[in-house]
Amino acid sequence: MATETPFTHIDPDTGIAIPEVDVPSQKLPPGEWLRKNLFNNWYNSLITVLLTIGVAYVSWRVLRFVFVTAKWEPVRENLTLINIGTYPRDEQWRVVAQVLIWSGAAGLGIGAAVAGAKFRALQAGMEYVVDPALAKVKRYSGLLLLGLVFLGFTKTFGPLILTVVSLAVAYALYWVASRVAGHNVGLLWAGVAALMVFGFQIVSGFFGMGWLWMGVPIAAAVYSVIGRNETIEPRRLRLIQIGAALGVLVVLFVVYLVVDSVGVEWDEWEGFHLNLLAAAIAIALSFPLGLLLALGRRSSFPALRIMSTTYIEIIRGVPLISLLLMAQFFIGFFLDTRTPLSLFTRATAAMTLFTAAYVAEIVRGGLQAVPKGQTEAGNSVGMAPWSVTRLIVLPQALRAVIPAMVGQFISLFKDTSLLLIIGKIEILGAREIIHGQEAYRGFGIAETLVFAAFAFWAVSFTMSRESQRLERKLGVGER
Amino acid sequence: MKRLMIGLVALAMIATACGGDDDGGGTSLLDTVIERDEVICGGNETLPGFGVVDDAGNFSGFDIDFCRVVAAGVLGDSSKVRFVPLTAEARFTALQSGEIDLLIRNTTWTATRDGQEGANFLFTTFYDGQGLMVPASTGFTTLEDLADANICVLTGTTTELNLTAVFNARGIPFNPVQFEDNTQLRPAYEAGQCNAWTSDASQLAAFKATIEGEGGDEQFIMAEIISKEPLGPVVADGDTAWAQAVEWSVMATVQAWEFGLDSGSIGSYSGTSPNILNFIGDGGFNPTLGLPSDFAVQVVSQVGNYEEIYNRNIIPIGLQLTGSPNDLWTNGGLMYVPPYR
Amino acid sequence: MSQTTLEPPPDVESEQIAWYRNVETLRIVGQVAAVVLVVGLLFWLFNNLLTNLNRLNINTDFGFLSRPTNFQISFDEGFDPRSSVWQMVLVGIKNTFLAGIVGIIIASIVGLVIGIARLSSNWLVSRLATIYVEAFRNIPPLVIIIFFGFAIFTFGPFPVLEEATQISWFGSDNTALVLSNRVWGVPSLIAEDNVGIFWAIFVFAIVAAVGVAIYRTRLSDRTGVLHHRVRWALGTFAIIALAGHFIVGGAFSASWPVVSENGRRIDNGFVLNFGYISTTVALGLYTASHVAEIIRGSILAVPKGQSEAANAIALRAFQRYRYIVLPQALRIALPPTINQYLNLIKNTSLGIAVSYAEITLLTKTSIGNGRPAPQSIAVLMAVYLLFSLTISFLLNIYNRRIQLVER
Repeated sequence: MATETPFTHIDPDTGIAIPEVDVPSQKLPPGEWLRKNLFNNWYNSLITVLLTIGVAYVSWRVLRFVFVTAKWEPVRENLTLINIGTYPRDEQWRVVAQVLIWSGAAGLGIGAAVAGAKFRALQAGMEYVVDPALAKVKRYSGLLLLGLVFLGFTKTFGPLILTVVSLAVAYALYWVASRVAGHNVGLLWAGVAALMVFGFQIVSGFFGMGWLWMGVPIAAAVYSVIGRNETIEPRRLRLIQIGAALGVLVVLFVVYLVVDSVGVEWDEWEGFHLNLLAAAIAIALSFPLGLLLALGRRSSFPALRIMSTTYIEIIRGVPLISLLLMAQFFIGFFLDTRTPLSLFTRATAAMTLFTAAYVAEIVRGGLQAVPKGQTEAGNSVGMAPWSVTRLIVLPQALRAVIPAMVGQFISLFKDTSLLLIIGKIEILGAREIIHGQEAYRGFGIAETLVFAAFAFWAVSFTMSRESQRLERKLGVGER
Repeated sequence: MKRLMIGLVALAMIATACGGDDDGGGTSLLDTVIERDEVICGGNETLPGFGVVDDAGNFSGFDIDFCRVVAAGVLGDSSKVRFVPLTAEARFTALQSGEIDLLIRNTTWTATRDGQEGANFLFTTFYDGQGLMVPASTGFTTLEDLADANICVLTGTTTELNLTAVFNARGIPFNPVQFEDNTQLRPAYEAGQCNAWTSDASQLAAFKATIEGEGGDEQFIMAEIISKEPLGPVVADGDTAWAQAVEWSVMATVQAWEFGLDSGSIGSYSGTSPNILNFIGDGGFNPTLGLPSDFAVQVVSQVGNYEEIYNRNIIPIGLQLTGSPNDLWTNGGLMYVPPYR
Repeated sequence: MSQTTLEPPPDVESEQIAWYRNVETLRIVGQVAAVVLVVGLLFWLFNNLLTNLNRLNINTDFGFLSRPTNFQISFDEGFDPRSSVWQMVLVGIKNTFLAGIVGIIIASIVGLVIGIARLSSNWLVSRLATIYVEAFRNIPPLVIIIFFGFAIFTFGPFPVLEEATQISWFGSDNTALVLSNRVWGVPSLIAEDNVGIFWAIFVFAIVAAVGVAIYRTRLSDRTGVLHHRVRWALGTFAIIALAGHFIVGGAFSASWPVVSENGRRIDNGFVLNFGYISTTVALGLYTASHVAEIIRGSILAVPKGQSEAANAIALRAFQRYRYIVLPQALRIALPPTINQYLNLIKNTSLGIAVSYAEITLLTKTSIGNGRPAPQSIAVLMAVYLLFSLTISFLLNIYNRRIQLVER
């Protein structure tokens, strides 16, 4: 049963455990380094020389294309279209507000993670080490590059101001959050959830029930804060807690009744914004669904096991595009409704159902990796089966599979490009609109494609970098 | 704590369920549209002359203008319209399922579509025909010259079926190259990946103009038109009130043209012709089409008459109105509407 | 437990525990409830679907499968527009697999090379391999396919078919390769009349090759000589097959691609169209970036002691890789690699972007021409599902075998 060597690393894409490799970290003088890494024998020297010539030539061609020959006008003139498609321009402030709110949520989330890490370090009696700034810049190099390219293409100062302000908002919330005491981390995460939903609400124009969903994390946070008051007698405290939480919901319900009516249809989200939003929503929804499916597949109930397995295998057996076609043509007909669901809803549902099956397989891998002794230990101290799963097995399993999960989410993000095929105007659809315009009908077709590819690349690359870091940080596979 | 969370989630779900409003069956789409105060129109976003989008996200084009015409006629405001871009395959499903109120997406009226697809075709706004375009340097002039040729065509359209039917009937072998959209098709054609490009003649004219205008090779559109393509607005089967409202709004543009009224003059008509007075709703005439009595004034003053719409959108892509089937019947064209009285 | 417990009579025990507290009963009740819930839900969904389709007058039968398509398929001369939708589906399946198989070959070769290159001691080589991987796996395959369609053909170096580049076969008159921006022609083999006898000999050759391989393995086990079973088997196979070819007097003849007189088609040979080449190359290179990561991980996963042992017995670098590291690494790499191959085959559905007539594009086209969408999509999904399930079934059997051998 025991593995032959201790391993330090589970590859996120492949799930292969890689044993420890010594990395020589000593700094060599340049001449020595060249000799050792590039010219250590005759054939390596030959390869090095040939490749250098090749790289120089290709770089020259690429640089010449990007800075000299490429016709970037279609991108430059249509930057708004690429970003948000035909989202109503007089409602554009909503997108801006959403960017600010979600930057705030990101800052708060990172802050919460740092606060949690500090707290755990403190408990373990260790010192918390902050990453050097250079490492952070390197880690986010993809996104930074994308931002710079966008800013390079804009003609007004609006985007620059937005970037600066949203970074400032993110940093401010990060600063506050990272200094909050460790045992309040749960509250911070509730705040992140509420802000995420609120950003979603803003951009969809206060349309629908989002207010109540936003109330869920807020009410939970209120409940938890009141619960810490030790001066009140427990029975009364419980009543106050419940009352306050319900109060929050009632208030938000009133807000919903009053504010609801202004609407931006979900189908009006377009451009690169749509790629990001669809991916974000499908990620948020597919994770819990995948978790349930994984538990179902590992369940001791044969009926649950068979049903979960069937679902997972069927979904994994078909390409996403076939599910999206299903969404385009008839997924809405499965519900007993005469008002049709928006294509966005149907497509996101298809992507969620698809990704959930893959998430389930990843989680199952993690569950299998948790030694059986852990469950047995839990059982032996008399914990209920569900508590064993929730408190012992899942935390270990999920920690081990975070990198693979991020890999799956990257792939989901890339797959939002398929929305093009069902006629949604995501970034590639915006590209087609641009080439329908009279000025750019046959103009810069390759350039717009390169730009779209770069936008996808920047986001995916940053996510994969982040997952590699998480993996090291969580010490996946150590022990 | 956990129990509370579950409770809260349940509460939110119940609230969601209660909030969903029931759509009462049996009412006409016309009432729904008036209540919603917005027309949802399925259109095209990448078709020169018929539906394109600028950087500010504004739709424009011939089909788009007729969506605006319906909004002006039914709601009195041509801006109260939302455009839903559709793929060729999904347009009838979108119409049937009620995602869109109205489909104006260069859609050809055919028997199958009228019957099997549950679509109801209304007044034809544009008489088109399928043609073939080749680079002028090839010197091809007839279909027979295209034996064994690769012919670029968009998928999921009648164009594809016409092409197959005509070439097979004449026993000319050919190879179709099916593309999803013009963004891919056009550079492929220009690079010589296809010998010919088949599409509606209006489209070919538009692309001929842009290719030549951008310094590309000279193009030649064959004289032979291989099909009839009547394009017009489509609504779902089984809703007469809505169909009438759409049809008469659209026909008002032709009627105004016939009366010699345009967007500038219709609001200030001071003549005494009883027909025109009826038309502009002056004498309290109301044929109870479900439209406001001044709908024609709204349509023409906000969007224009047929000629204006045509001049705005189709003339720039290089097609003439005079002498085409789209000219007024009094000039020998096919634009003929029932009398408004 | 330290207490001594008396066995109570069974009937008393069962009377004491109420049914609703009996774990066994609850398990059954719970599962039945879950099944009823799910089946009920499915029934409800399906019922809604049928109701809605009926309400909208969309027909729900599969009769359309036997009616003619009325359209022609790109680059498929054999396809008659009067052929049924079924035959269209078969053409789609054929094209899907043609793209899938060649894509898999490209992905395997390039993936292996890049994966090894990532671990090269040459800094430049490993850095370039990293750039390759990071570039390809972070861009959507759809974009990559469109990109290759542009880069190779539309804006690429090849002339139009009328002026196609023709490369002849080592000085002979036969054209080995016809290159244009529309189709490429390569030589192919044409079966002669007597090919039936040849196939019989062919099967015999395979059997003989397997027999020789088994014999060599046993011999090696018994005597310790190197078995070289692959070499022996291939040799046996080649000799018998070639002999068979000559015995029947030439079972196959070469067919060389020729551009037709009007310059619009390639006669003879095997014709590859631009959609096919773009799709396979793009998907091959995209999947290669994932395969490379798997190969790299698997090589790293081989315990270092193995390499050190190889060094200790003075194996050269190539021998170390060929005989020690790769055989172990590839075994680790196989299951995730097969998953990537499955993904590749599913991704051929993106050939739609460069007008490659695989099954998804044909399904979409046929829906656009008035076939009912729900049934068409159901057929499409069934095709993919059948294939995926077969492969994962085979993979499971293989995994089980490997496990039994290993531990």
